[in-house]
Amino acid sequence: MPPESTVPAVAVAGLHKSYGAVPALQGVSFTVPRGGVFAYLGPNGAGKTTTINVLCGLLRPDSGRVAVCGLEVSREPVKVKARIGVVPDESNLYPELSCRRNLDYLGELYGLPRRVRRARGAELLELFALADRAEKPFRALSRGLKRRLVLAAALVHSPEVLFLDEPTIGLDVPSARALRQLIRRINREGTTVFLTTHNLAEAEDLADRVCILIQGRVVEVGAPMEIRSRVDRGTYLKLGLSGEVTARELLSSCPAVKQAQRQNGFWRLEVEALHEALAQALAFAQARQLLVNEVGVERPTLEEAFLAILQKDQSAEVSPR
Amino acid sequence: MSQFARALAIGRKDVESYYAKPPLITWALLFPAVLMLAIYVKDPDEYLAVAPGIIAMTLLFGCTSMAAIVVTFEKRSGTLRRLLLTPVTPGTIILGKAGSAAAYGLSTSLLLTLGLGLVLGMPLANPPAFAVGLLLGAAAFSLLGVLASVLVREVFEAMTLMNFFRFPTLFLSGVFMPLDAFPSWLMPLAMLSPLTYAVELLRLGVSGSCYFTSPWVPALALLAYILGGWWLAISAFRRRAGQ
Repeated sequence: MPPESTVPAVAVAGLHKSYGAVPALQGVSFTVPRGGVFAYLGPNGAGKTTTINVLCGLLRPDSGRVAVCGLEVSREPVKVKARIGVVPDESNLYPELSCRRNLDYLGELYGLPRRVRRARGAELLELFALADRAEKPFRALSRGLKRRLVLAAALVHSPEVLFLDEPTIGLDVPSARALRQLIRRINREGTTVFLTTHNLAEAEDLADRVCILIQGRVVEVGAPMEIRSRVDRGTYLKLGLSGEVTARELLSSCPAVKQAQRQNGFWRLEVEALHEALAQALAFAQARQLLVNEVGVERPTLEEAFLAILQKDQSAEVSPR
Repeated sequence: MSQFARALAIGRKDVESYYAKPPLITWALLFPAVLMLAIYVKDPDEYLAVAPGIIAMTLLFGCTSMAAIVVTFEKRSGTLRRLLLTPVTPGTIILGKAGSAAAYGLSTSLLLTLGLGLVLGMPLANPPAFAVGLLLGAAAFSLLGVLASVLVREVFEAMTLMNFFRFPTLFLSGVFMPLDAFPSWLMPLAMLSPLTYAVELLRLGVSGSCYFTSPWVPALALLAYILGGWWLAISAFRRRAGQ
């Protein structure tokens, strides 16, 4: 048996699930290494929630193998549930119970002894800045505070893997930011995070590995940078110079620059090899005794990459085969 | 921690959330107490014939009042999903939900029994039979309540389903009229009702005699309802939980 640390947090192979005649997942396979943040992305109806439900033991797959922390979910659902925490897309704690009692009750269901769960509850209320609202009923909290308590509730038993389904949905900017900081902190402390979100900037910000699912099929898996680099859109160098030059001068002095465009007082250069183009542009400025007052690199964002992948998939579907 | 301890936790939480509420407690106690008082005032000699039936009715309503809606209600509010994400089995959830309903039904019917004993001097000729009747009745009724809750999608459907069961059952189970006085064509229906067996065990407990020649008959009939209710509730729950 492999040591615990080498067993992937989640391993999915050939997962199929249909609702009647409608296929939801068609041979989904991916692996989530331990300790990272894995973003599971896809448009509405792609099968993200179905996957999470299968991983959490709420739904039986038609076929395929699903293991969490090395345990087969269909064979040992109770053991799997004891090792995972889940933050669903809805804030579904007990509205009539206080924040403290909600955490205490869930601690009881995870089998924590009274003293441990009391201490853990107090620690989480403190960590999530809810200590002063500990005795307030869950229903009396604002949306942002409810999301915080739901996240705290998912951590009450210190899970090895945390599933987050749209964790910041419906939150204002400061609340979403605070929640992202908490997610980072939880991950730093060793919990593997499995995240689904429609917020691509959030996925790019948090995740070290991304999986893109379209119509129940995995179309891309890799680090966000890898996925961005697979998109055909070029890399752009933004350059601000203290004096006037022409596009022709720039293009002739910098062979690594494919195109040069003037935009809002800056040059926007489409480049082939970034390092080479940057060195050539700086040498060009030095030769002309111009000051470089702005340098920036524009790469396709994860959102642009996602849209490009989506478009490619749709056009492949409509074109005759 | 065992699954049984988790079931106790679920039951305790449900008592706190649903049952320990003044309106529910006063309704469950006042209605049978006033009914009993009305019967006593009309004819003080006859109240003992009806008392076991009223206690059994209190048990039935107590055990099914919230049990019949609790799973549907939690499904609608999303808290059932939260429960399903914790390391508990379907059996644990059913046991917790039915256990809290049974505890509530037992508390209200025991309080009524105590009141009848203290105020009207109701005797207990066979306390073990009375206790067995209360315990088996509570288990059977609460499981039937949870089963109703699991079978439907909406809270109002659960209430409708339970009312279609509870009210005809009151008529069919010898609550207000002894089984001896039933017309023969009604007897098969009376024998299908679990309330009949609870009423007769309580009658044996109060007066020392009942319709059945042996107390084993109503006790085993209730046991069959418990096993059937348990199996049906778990099967339905497994099927519905993933939807």
